Amino acid sequence: MIPTRSIALRLGALFAAAALGVFALIGIALHRVFDHAIEAHQFEELDTKFRDIEYFIKRVRTPEQWAHIHEKLDALTPPDGSTRYWIWSDDPDVQYGASRAEIASISGGRSDGDAGRGQAIIERHEAPMVTRNEYFPADANHPALRFMVGIDSTPFLRTEREFEQALIAWSTLGVILVAVLGYWAARFGLLPLQRISREAQQIGVTHLSQRLDTKRLPRELSDLGLSFNGALDRLEGAYQKLEAFNADVTHELRTPLANLIGQTQVALSRERTAGELEETLQSNLEELERLRSIISDMLFLARADQGEKAMSLAPASLAEEVHKTVEFLDLITDEAGVTVRVEGDASAPVERSLLRRAITNLLHNAIRHTQSRDEIVVRLSETEADAQIAISNPGPAIPREHIGRIFDRFYRIDSARPNSGENHGLGLSIVKAVASMHAGTVFASSDNGMTTVGFTVARATAASR
Amino acid sequence: MKILVVEDELKMADYLGRGLTEQGYTVDQAHNGIDGQHLALQCDYDVIVLDVMLPGLDGFSLLRSLRAVKDTPVIMLTARERIEDRVQGLREGADDYLVKPFSFLELVARLQALTRRGRAQERMYESSHLRVGDLHIDMLSRKVVRDGLRIDLTAKEFALLSVLARRSGEVLSKTVIAELVWDMNFDSNTNVVEVAIKRLRAKIDGPYAKNLLHTVRGMGYVLEERHESVAIERVT
Repeated sequence: MIPTRSIALRLGALFAAAALGVFALIGIALHRVFDHAIEAHQFEELDTKFRDIEYFIKRVRTPEQWAHIHEKLDALTPPDGSTRYWIWSDDPDVQYGASRAEIASISGGRSDGDAGRGQAIIERHEAPMVTRNEYFPADANHPALRFMVGIDSTPFLRTEREFEQALIAWSTLGVILVAVLGYWAARFGLLPLQRISREAQQIGVTHLSQRLDTKRLPRELSDLGLSFNGALDRLEGAYQKLEAFNADVTHELRTPLANLIGQTQVALSRERTAGELEETLQSNLEELERLRSIISDMLFLARADQGEKAMSLAPASLAEEVHKTVEFLDLITDEAGVTVRVEGDASAPVERSLLRRAITNLLHNAIRHTQSRDEIVVRLSETEADAQIAISNPGPAIPREHIGRIFDRFYRIDSARPNSGENHGLGLSIVKAVASMHAGTVFASSDNGMTTVGFTVARATAASR
Repeated sequence: MKILVVEDELKMADYLGRGLTEQGYTVDQAHNGIDGQHLALQCDYDVIVLDVMLPGLDGFSLLRSLRAVKDTPVIMLTARERIEDRVQGLREGADDYLVKPFSFLELVARLQALTRRGRAQERMYESSHLRVGDLHIDMLSRKVVRDGLRIDLTAKEFALLSVLARRSGEVLSKTVIAELVWDMNFDSNTNVVEVAIKRLRAKIDGPYAKNLLHTVRGMGYVLEERHESVAIERVT
């Protein structure tokens, strides 16, 4: 079955419409030419007959000769009346043909001294006669008279009708042929599309790396193919990220769960003192807290992914917030032997606890990667559109392939995951989530022994909603 | 102090009942919305702990019918951390809100804040002089003395000590401490509180035979005078 919105069908119909238009134009033009030719032909015949008789009329010398002309006219008038002659005059000897009453109407050259072509409609005659008449003023040889020749236009009309019918029939046939051929041509021309469709159908979750073969596509379709492949690239990337994320989540959850199950089983396998059991419970609680922390961070990230925006926004000085955070992390910087310097200021409407959380994560991350006695610099700046927090720390350059991914969930530069209970690899993802909740972005760079990581928050109220 | 716990998850209902009873509350339980509504309307409670997802009648509907009659404080519990839930809960008249998984300590803290017992304690918080064992804290002059000897503390150490001393005997989680001392109300995943406690402990407990600042593993920290018998019992 052909789908109603088939391109081939539509193209076929369009071709047919175009053909119909073209044939109609040609048909009308041909019809005109043919009409003119037939008319010229009629007039030629009429003129010949007219001139023959005119010759005799002009050579009449005696009234007796009129009878001779009448005989000649009788002979020239065929029995079917397809050619008729009339002579009108006041002299009954000159008068020839039926009376005027037989002619229902006549056009062309009717007043005296006038001559011309026209039509005469004869009673009981289906088609009008094409006529030519002329007025001969009285002279020495004959009285004033009007002579008219008429030929029947029926054969001409019939020919014309036949021509019209043939024209319509052939044109119709032509239109149908064009439509059918156009449809087949379109089907043939669209074959590459069907191939794309077949190839696309084969792409599934298990064949995500498969792509459309754009080299074999015609020029018009190669753009589509490339765009499609681009979309697949992005999807594959996202899918792989998701898969890696799932694997990471499973891993992160499995470790504490294994600890929980194992140590509980060990504890229950023997009689234990209350102290030992308490010890087990406390250890369990630590693992459970770790699980809870991972889950609540993941929920937080999921909410940001779903497009949740920061609620209760209040205008804040970012320098003030950074100072608060620095104060919070004071003991840690102290233990690590690093110092923190804050430069500049910026203001933006923010949800304070979210902002502090992001700054804490960034600073904590910087402290962990900074050598003792080095300095971390927090730079604050603002533009019309957004406020920026950039945290720089001296340290070995992070390779390019890693720097772009440090905001990915559970991403660790050294793939052997150090399973420290405190850091489950979501810190920078949370920074990214906080930035996006404030309609901002994150950035990271690493060169000349300086690593800079930071984020922006929108300042425009429309963007922050 | 009477509490109604409306919770269909039996394990959670069980430990909430046990834990809250041990905290000195009288606990009634309902395991579905219908029973919960009946109890909530018939009896007078000081506070109600109400799950959102309940069989029979959901938490929001129960809350609505309760609010039509009385103003018993209500804490909602939900597994879904969705803003709509929070907004709906608060609009229907819930007084507080906890997302599962929540810490039991946090629930107790919120319950105290909602009940008169909490308010009574607030008054104690405002007193200018605190004492835990032989440790004396003068809130006005910011002087700390233990066993007759003056202890020098930094501003943050003093803030930390006063938070612990005001809630002496109460286990404070790291998150609560971070919020009360540094105004950081989120899980920071840093060891700031551990380091701060370590330093404070070195100053107030270090030279003394009897420790006042205790770590409760997996839960947090508590400042209290423990009697020897308790300590011995714990060690063995």
